[in-house]
Formats: sequence, structure tokens, C-alpha cells
Amino acid sequence: MNLRFHWMLPKGGEVHVDTRQTPQAAARYRIQSTNNTSPASRPDMEGWIHFSQQAEKAGIESVLISFSRYEPDPIMVSCALGRATTKLKFIAAYRSGLIQPTTLVQQVNTLSALIQGRVALNIVAGSSMAEQRGFGDYLSHDDRYARAEEFLAVCHSFWRAEGEVNFDGKYYRVEQGKLHTPFLAPDRTAPEVYVSGHSEAAERLACAQGTCLLRVADNPDKLQPLVSRIRQHGVEVCLRMCVLCRSTREEAVRVVESLLPEHDVPNQERSIAIKDDSQMYREASAVTHRENNWLTPFLWTGLVPYHGPVWTTLLGTPADIKQALLEYKAIGVTQFIMSGWPEFEEVDIFGREVLPLVREAERRQEKNPA
Amino acid sequence: MSLRFHWMFPKGGEVAMKTAQETSRVLTTRSMSPAALPDMKGWVRFAHVAEEAGIESVLLSFSRYEPDTFLVACAVGQATRKLKFIAAYRAGLMQPATFVQQINTLSALIGGRIALNIVAGSSPAEQRGYGDFLEHDERYARAEEFLAVCHAFWRNDGEVDFNGKYCRVAGGKLHTAFLAPHRTAPEVYVSGHSEQAQQLALTRGSCWLRLIDTPEKLRPLVTGFRERGVEVCLRLCVACRPTREEALGAALALLPADDIDRQERGIVSRSDSQTLRQALATADEVGWLNHYLWAGLVPYYGSSSITLVGTPEELAETFLDYEKIGVTQFIISGWPKLDEMVIFGREVLPLIRNAERH
Repeated sequence: MNLRFHWMLPKGGEVHVDTRQTPQAAARYRIQSTNNTSPASRPDMEGWIHFSQQAEKAGIESVLISFSRYEPDPIMVSCALGRATTKLKFIAAYRSGLIQPTTLVQQVNTLSALIQGRVALNIVAGSSMAEQRGFGDYLSHDDRYARAEEFLAVCHSFWRAEGEVNFDGKYYRVEQGKLHTPFLAPDRTAPEVYVSGHSEAAERLACAQGTCLLRVADNPDKLQPLVSRIRQHGVEVCLRMCVLCRSTREEAVRVVESLLPEHDVPNQERSIAIKDDSQMYREASAVTHRENNWLTPFLWTGLVPYHGPVWTTLLGTPADIKQALLEYKAIGVTQFIMSGWPEFEEVDIFGREVLPLVREAERRQEKNPA
Repeated sequence: MSLRFHWMFPKGGEVAMKTAQETSRVLTTRSMSPAALPDMKGWVRFAHVAEEAGIESVLLSFSRYEPDTFLVACAVGQATRKLKFIAAYRAGLMQPATFVQQINTLSALIGGRIALNIVAGSSPAEQRGYGDFLEHDERYARAEEFLAVCHAFWRNDGEVDFNGKYCRVAGGKLHTAFLAPHRTAPEVYVSGHSEQAQQLALTRGSCWLRLIDTPEKLRPLVTGFRERGVEVCLRLCVACRPTREEALGAALALLPADDIDRQERGIVSRSDSQTLRQALATADEVGWLNHYLWAGLVPYYGSSSITLVGTPEELAETFLDYEKIGVTQFIISGWPKLDEMVIFGREVLPLIRNAERH
């Protein structure tokens, strides 16, 4: 099967429709997107449609729409953007615990019928305690996973559509639940469910209730045992990373290093990482103390201490990046969600320079299986 | 101020249906009903006709038998320019912060053309299917807290902290604001006839939504609401024809076959809604509330089918009678769905607007 490539939906105001944007400006925009004056808080249909068309052209399958208190609601955004596109799919991030599972299913099913089934879910158990409490959620990290497990169990019973739904759990109770609006898609009766997180609880949740574990990229050797375990459960693995592709490795390195902050002072992001109780952020902080930020010759974590694990970057020439992606494929990874600085230019480069090389290699592999 | 007229949004498939009987609630709740699926073609057509007819908003109903109202408002809102959407939603199905984030996002996507009809709940059976096990009175107490938190977010004057019996929020903030040309929060219609519903409308709503009744009976209630700065909006059906005889004929033709009668009463008896019980009692006892108001359809099509029957002149005059007692808004439905709205826009509305100018 061919590798599947998804991209991050740019934040509101991030896409420049008429002018080119520098990687530095794009990175700065994203860092400042949590400021309360940032246009990232507003839907940006013009920029998003511009990006979506580029992504479709580049051969990107889906866009991931992130969820936070700083941004518009991903389910509504998927609806608006889905009505304005024809091919692109939407992976809407949502946190369990903010909505009754019956209601989420009713929303997702309605959405599927409105945009030809082009919706998947990225279920996140939670974020920082502070942000969760602002949404009315006071559970601790492990309890949030236990709740997410029940949440998805209820959702799946609705999607199985085998009659009324009854569930009596610790966090959710549903009696004779039924919804008449089904999940409608050409080839599915339920959405794909990406479960993200680095903890064991996340891994268990992905295996029990997900179709795919979503995590940040790491060294293939390190990921290999995890990927095997997950694949044995019939669950896929999708890696999140930034990508920076240039015609020479030197240029790619120069650009990515230009994104490092000028002064190495504890910034806002670091303080967020300390307060956060997510495993992903704790691992990221540990990376800070490593001498070497290169996890492989192509995978760089130099920006992670400042901006979090999702700034882990795959960089190099088109051939380098193709090789790295195929190494992940060799250990069983099937999907990627990428991001670039700026998203628009990088998805264009990826579609023109990298993807044809990957597809060509996949065709050769299919003809001559190792 | 001019009277504001809204219309009931048709369920999926209804725009193409010819008779009222096809659209009865019993048929809607069958699992194979087209009401379960979004009907963009029919809805966009209806929405354009509504805009043309001078209708301000459409009310989207919420139930387990239909698509989600926010998503429908989002999709149809993108295909229209002027029409507003009153999305019915039940408190207790999501955290208020999440609810506000969805509504605010929606407002920004469709030019602020979104209002809420907050319903505390439906039948206990349907609520339990949504994971809600509270009793009628407690549902109202929760709805009160729910709206208090929503309003705290919409006031946008710093972080939201709330410590209630049903809702708790600490340091809440949302960057996506409610965006509309003249508002910083959506209009909130609170519906229900119970004492609790009225209280909720007074404390947390911008408008009380209830069934139509005679002006005499409504007057003291309406005065009470208007004195506290809350509007009153009446739900009704209309059957308007050039002569009274034709209008009566059109109304009587809506009566369904006997088997639907029995099933509909089954639905009614399982509900704990006061609105429905009161309306049904009215229908059984009198049928005609006055010369123009007919409750004969209530046992078959639910409490919201009390029908104003008459000529354009009679209807215009009746609406103006309600304006005199302080009612400011109406949510109307009629059969056939499209035709009745076209008649209203063409025959009745110009008479009202003309009278309002003088």
C-alpha cells in the first residue's frame, strides 16, 4: 500500500494569498498564534481555500485541523472548508470530555453527509491542566485516558448501528441511545480515528479504540518495536513532523537554523512545557539536554525545546527526504502528517519534488518485492 | 420596530413533499425517514425562497432523528447571504466552553447570522440516549448555569471562572470571538411553557419562545416579559387563502389518517414536556381558540401546529393585534412548505409592513 500523506491546516491568517512569505515570518506567525491579538483566532476561508487547492494539487490526502482555545472549532471549520472543496479530507482534532459522545457522533455523522464522508477524527485525551479546566474538565492525565476509552467505546457502538446503544461506564452512561443520521462515506461506516499521544495510555487507547496512533517522528530504530506492536493490533501508525526540503542539504540546514531564537532564554513555550502534564512535553524537555539534536542524519530536534515536539523536523534534499520516508515505511509506518514554514510553499515543494520520488520507489518495490 | 418573521426550516426531504401528511412527526421518527439526512438541494432552494419572501431567520429543530443543527446552519449559511439561523440546541450535551467555541466559530463563518434556541431537554427517554439523566426541573437549573457560563465567555471581559452545581470552569478563555455586525453574543431564544422555562428566559434569554394563544390570554405574560427587557416570539402555523372558506378547506385537508393519530398520541404521552401537554389539552377541549386560531392539528403534528386560518387581511390584522400586546417575533410554518411561505411573503407581509409605516 502506498504511504499516505497529510498536512497541517495553516492557522487563520497564516497563508499569504498574494505574496511569498519567508520561513522566518511563517515560524514567527505560528509562535505568536496564541497571543490574543493573533488573527489565528478567526476563520480564514480565503487563505484556507487557497491552501486546500494547493494541497489537493500536491497529492495531499487530508489536512489536520488542530484544537485549542486559541483557534476556531475544527468541526465547524471542516464543514465550511469541506463544502468549498471536493477531494481533500479533514482530520478534525477533538478532545474527549468536552462533549457527550452521542452529540459528537451526531455532529460527525451530519458532517460526513455534508462533505461526502471526508472527515476523520484525531482524538486527544486532553492538553495542559490549565487549558482543560478552562473547558470545564478537571480530570488528571490517566483518568482522561480512561474517559477517552469510554468515550470512543460509546461512539463506536453508535457507528456499528446494531440497534439501541446502552452503556454504563464510570464516565459515561447512555440508555437506549439512537441517532438516525448515519456516518456516510463511500467506503466506510465510521470515521478513521487517530489517537495521539506518547504515553502508554495513549498507545493502549489507540489499540483499543483507534484506527491509527499519531505521534511525533523519532529515529526509525527507536520506533520500530512500538510500530510492530501497534501494527500487530491491526492499527496503523502516523508520524507528525515538520519538513524542510531544499535542493542541497546545506541550504535546508541553513534555513532551519535560521528559525532558532536569537536569545536562548526561557520563553513562554518552555513555561508551558513545564506546567503541562502530557508525556509528549516531558519527553520534549528531556531532548533539551541532549548534546546532539540530530536523531538521524535527516531528523532534527533543535527547535523542540522552544516550540514543542511537533517542531521535530525532517530536512534535506528531495532524495534525502524520500529515503527517510521509505525507512519509516520499512518499519511499518503508513501515514504522515506534515507541516512546513510556510505551509503553502512547503506543500508545493513536497508535491513537486518529494512525492514523485516516493511514488516511483513504491512502484519499483511493488514490482520487485524484497 | 417592525415585527420580525421567522420560518420553521423543513426537515430533510420535506421541501419536495406535497402534503402535510407526508411530513407528520410519526413518519419523521421512522428510521428510514429522509429527515435523517441533510438535504442541501431542498434546503438551499427553501432558503432562497425564504430570503425572497422577506423571512429573517429559519429555526432548525434538534432531535435524535435529524442532522445536527450547527452543522446544517454552517452548510446552508455558506450557500446564502441574508438568511439567519436559529439553531435549537439542548443544554447538557456539551461543555458550555465548547458550545461557545462552536457558535463563535460558526458566527465568523456565516457573517454572524446565528441565534440559539436553548431547550432544556426533551422526553426523558431521548435525553438518556444523549447521556442525560436529570429530571425536568434539574435540567432547567443546569440550563441556567450553562447559559451563565456562555454569557460570561461572550462578555469577553477576562478569564471565565464559574463554580456551579452542574458547570465548573477555571481560567476559561477562548480567542475566537462571536462575530456579527451588531452583536457580541447571539440572540438566545428560550422555549417552554413551564415556570422554569419562563424564569430561564427572563434571566438568561433575549426572547421567550412559546406557542401562540389568544391575545387576551397572552397579554399579561407578554407585558411581564417586556417589562424585564425580554422579547416574546410566538410559534404558529398559518393557512392563508384568498377567502376564509378556502383557508378553512386548506386547514382541514391537513388532518391525517387515523393510524397516525394513535401513534402520535403515543409520542405525546411519553413526553414530560408541559408545553405539549397544555397544547394537547387545548386541542381536546376547544379546537378553536378564537375565530382565527385552530388547535385541531395539535394531536397529529405536535404542539407547534396551532394554526392561524384566514384571508391575507385577517392574518395581517391578527399579527398586528399581537404587536399591540407587545409580541415582536413569530416563527411560522405551513403546508405545503414552500407555497405557504410564498403566499405569506406575497400577500400578508406587505399588508403588515404598510400598516406599520402608518
